[in-house]
Amino acid sequence: MNLVQQLINGIVLGHGYALIAVGWTVLLGVARLVNFGHGQIYMLAAFVTWWAVAGLGLPYPVAILAAMLAGVLIGLLMQAAMLRLTFAQDLVSIMIVTLGFGHMMRGIAGLVFGGHPQVLETPLSYIDFEIAGAWVTAQDLAVVLVGIAAFALLHFGLERGTLGRTARMVAEDPKLAQLAGIDVKRVYFAVFAFEGAAVALAAAMVAPRTPILTSIGFEEVIVTFVVVVLGGIGSVAGSYAAGLGLGIFTALFGGFVSPAYATTAAFGVLIVVLVLRPSGLAMRAGGR
Amino acid sequence: MSTPILEARELRVTYGGHVALDIPHLALAPGELVGVVGANGAGKSTLVNALLGWSRGAPAVSGSVRLAGEEIGALPPHARVARGLALVPEGGAVFMRLSVAENLAAATPPAGAAGRAHDEAQIEALFPRLRERRHHMASALSGGERQMLAIARALRLGPSALLLDEPSIGLAPRLVTDVLRAVRGLVDQHLSVLLVEQNVRAAIAVVDRLILLERGRILAQGPVAAMRDDPRILEAYLGEAAA
Amino acid sequence: MAGRLAPFLAVPLAILVFLLPGWLGGVHGAFTVIAIMAIAAYGLDIVVSDLGEVSLAHTVFFAAGAYATGLLATRLGANGWLTLAGALAAGTLIALVLGLITLALREFVFSLVTYAATVVAAAVAHNWDVLGGSDGVSGIPTLDLPLGPLRLGATNDVQLWPFAFGLLLLTLYAVRQFRRSRLGAMAMMVHLNPRLATMSGIDVRRVRLGVFVLSAPFSAVAGWLYAYQRAYVGPDLFETYFLVLMLTAVVLVGRRRLLAPLIGTALIIGQERFLSFGGDINAIILGGALVLALAVLPGGLDGLFRRAFARTAQPAPHSDRRPVAQS
Repeated sequence: MNLVQQLINGIVLGHGYALIAVGWTVLLGVARLVNFGHGQIYMLAAFVTWWAVAGLGLPYPVAILAAMLAGVLIGLLMQAAMLRLTFAQDLVSIMIVTLGFGHMMRGIAGLVFGGHPQVLETPLSYIDFEIAGAWVTAQDLAVVLVGIAAFALLHFGLERGTLGRTARMVAEDPKLAQLAGIDVKRVYFAVFAFEGAAVALAAAMVAPRTPILTSIGFEEVIVTFVVVVLGGIGSVAGSYAAGLGLGIFTALFGGFVSPAYATTAAFGVLIVVLVLRPSGLAMRAGGR
Repeated sequence: MSTPILEARELRVTYGGHVALDIPHLALAPGELVGVVGANGAGKSTLVNALLGWSRGAPAVSGSVRLAGEEIGALPPHARVARGLALVPEGGAVFMRLSVAENLAAATPPAGAAGRAHDEAQIEALFPRLRERRHHMASALSGGERQMLAIARALRLGPSALLLDEPSIGLAPRLVTDVLRAVRGLVDQHLSVLLVEQNVRAAIAVVDRLILLERGRILAQGPVAAMRDDPRILEAYLGEAAA
Repeated sequence: MAGRLAPFLAVPLAILVFLLPGWLGGVHGAFTVIAIMAIAAYGLDIVVSDLGEVSLAHTVFFAAGAYATGLLATRLGANGWLTLAGALAAGTLIALVLGLITLALREFVFSLVTYAATVVAAAVAHNWDVLGGSDGVSGIPTLDLPLGPLRLGATNDVQLWPFAFGLLLLTLYAVRQFRRSRLGAMAMMVHLNPRLATMSGIDVRRVRLGVFVLSAPFSAVAGWLYAYQRAYVGPDLFETYFLVLMLTAVVLVGRRRLLAPLIGTALIIGQERFLSFGGDINAIILGGALVLALAVLPGGLDGLFRRAFARTAQPAPHSDRRPVAQS
């Protein structure tokens, strides 16, 4: 395959990756929380989108909204269960609990949607364009546009204005934020709802590129780690750049070295970064 | 006597079975400045934190807290703040990653408190240093400036009662006088303040009434004129000298 | 009181448990799997409960033991002793490398990197032909352990059960001794107060590395037996099921209780084997148990029983609590 095609694949892939990771960026940046059930929310949301389109015959945009709603509900439920751990900032327990939630979601998906792989057909996947000798679908373009839009909104929302200030206050010192009259519990719920909605949006946009199975989601979590960590915890612009970079890296590595090991290679980079620069993830996890 | 602006009954705080605070009754009259003194670990901070239902740890707090007659003992901290009770915690806690202006703007007065809230001009008149440092990050401030910012932020919330936890800690003696004088000035403008102070001498100079705490219990309380020569207060002085 | 009597109670209890699968009508398979997974969980337990870190890489040590066994037995026709040595070596070596890499990492970052290691290992297992790729290694011969003129071995679950049970007892003994050892005491100090530990002259990094490496053989030896029990190893060993199973077993009953991981494993596998509602609902139950144990019942089932018990009876003095230096 030629370089231009791989680069364009990489850009599309990269926007998908950034979109998948955007929820985690906010989760970690604002609330110092993690969600290892992230991939399973992606998986469930992909199924919900497929079911809304193929089962209910809803138009694709409505299906996206349905998936996002499901994501919000899952996020709120998870946060409700973890509220005590959240206030204690017990990140390690939160991590394990979210792993447990992920396992539950897999069971639920198997129960509701069955074990067969499904393919989500969207009207946009049938429209092709040729750009500089490379082929892209309208779905690919939509992924890029939604990715850019999501990050632009988040950037302006979080870096300026009351919302951003509240977010930074809670991120720095949730207890002190209470003294400024902020309902920290509501912020935590909002952040988890956003995480659910964001990953569901990503699933609805990206999942049409691949078969949907109950076992998907693993790779999405990995991608998210890499993007969030390489981008610098909580940095919106950093996550976007890291997502894009990772997408291009994966496309080029997959195209020219080995497709099977592309994610592994990316993760190898992550391990090296974490080991060399653990302060990149410095957070008040359990410390005072 | 008029209704107390802040009143607590049967206020108890326990940490894992250990009773850290047990206050049968405590009241703060409108426009009154009450000092809470006592040795280290007497429960002074625990008391003001409990009044707001706030803590860095996870204690069990029970009891009734009334603000201007309204029961707030079951509300979460932010809701108590919204009703007009503000706390400046120990050590001039401010948001280090926010600028001075942002720290002040972060505390938007709740609806209904707008009349009481200090506006920016009043804050700057009270603490001129903060105007000069408006655009600095809070992390670049000195200890005294942080303390002023922390108090100013609380005033922006337009509280009807203010809880001040050791505003003098770590400050140079001259600054201690400045800060406490500023507090006295606020009280003279009819704010009610409960002031926790390790520096008994400095506290006696400004407060109307003193409460002496020991091991989480009220050992003695009364008007400052009567308490000044109480041997137990003198003991607290000695504790201060030894510390 | 319990501390003194425990050794005398342990013998009849052990004999009882050993005979139990026969009495229950030949459920040796389930009991063997419980023993194997409990042994694997004990490796994780000493890292989680004693060192205070959550490793997500113990499935790798488990899988390394299983893969080493499968490969040595099928490719080289190695007997049980050789595969055992291979399994222990593989698990320990990987733990040593990973331990060195994560030496400076703590808490969440440590967990993240160990999770990363699991993901990388899973990708390698799926894609590397030497490990059998996604087909895995099948046709593993039955366990044989030639001992001089004796030929010990196991061709079915009934015969495998004594081996699994023996290994489990050995594991329990080893964990108990570890907790009484100097390393165990140092691990607790490092866990509870790393600064004080440093000031007491403890090399925190060495203790962390020591405990981490020491924990791997438990999980690896469990993998060794698992390979013989299933006669097949594959990349499914890296699925979150095993990870969630081990984590749940460790946290479900309570921390730093010798029998807790065993009881936890028995509850989980027991439910899957005897009260199964199908894979999907079992997954919901297992995941739900993990969520409940941490989010709703801090201190696990043990803590729940203690609280319930404390209401009706006088709280018993904790005879099993070792003195730990307080700051």
